[in-house]
Amino acid sequence: MKNRLEEMRSQKGWTQQELADRVEVSRQTIISLERGRYNPSITLAFRLAHQFGVSIENLFIYSEEEDYE
Amino acid sequence: MNKNMEWINRQIRLGRILIAAGLIVIIIGIVLPGIVSGLQFNPRIITGIGIVVLGIGISYQVRFGPVVRDAQAARRLVSEERDERMQLIRGRAGYRAFWTAEALIYAGLMWVSFAESGSLPPVSTDTLWYFLAVAVIVPFIVFAVGMKLDQDRL
Repeated sequence: MKNRLEEMRSQKGWTQQELADRVEVSRQTIISLERGRYNPSITLAFRLAHQFGVSIENLFIYSEEEDYE
Repeated sequence: MNKNMEWINRQIRLGRILIAAGLIVIIIGIVLPGIVSGLQFNPRIITGIGIVVLGIGISYQVRFGPVVRDAQAARRLVSEERDERMQLIRGRAGYRAFWTAEALIYAGLMWVSFAESGSLPPVSTDTLWYFLAVAVIVPFIVFAVGMKLDQDRL
């Protein structure tokens, strides 16, 4: 799943470690999320969206085609 | 004390219990042959189990001990331990290791059953020992390799 995590994190001026600390995951998880290699749980997606003050749909871009790959 | 520190302290206490239990088991393994004569098994097995338990206890101290006075480091360590991606990776590696162990044990069961019926040569104690050693080591290797692969992939 594509996402705007890196873009939004850069806008906030946060490092990957800072964002990881805020949502209580490892830095490696933030790296994997930004690279689109890992799709978060609904709880983590909510926590991330909450940090940026946006909705989940604004942060994560769902693609039906990608889902069936 | 916050929840992270409580969790870290719990792990350290668990580590101390494991160290104490490991030492007791090692001592039992060493003194048992002197107390009980004609043991039907090799007492080194008990000592070996004690060494493993002691090692796990020490690993807890090494991992959690240094962060006990650093709230930020403790928070980071707890986040890493409970990290959902890491849990997924461990789960996947465990799933692969479980099915590997299941296949090996099933193969062993079939082997012994066919040997019993005379379709295969009888299984010697030595062969059985080596087979069981493989059944212990191979799933562990599958687990470790699975962890590494998924850490790179996910």
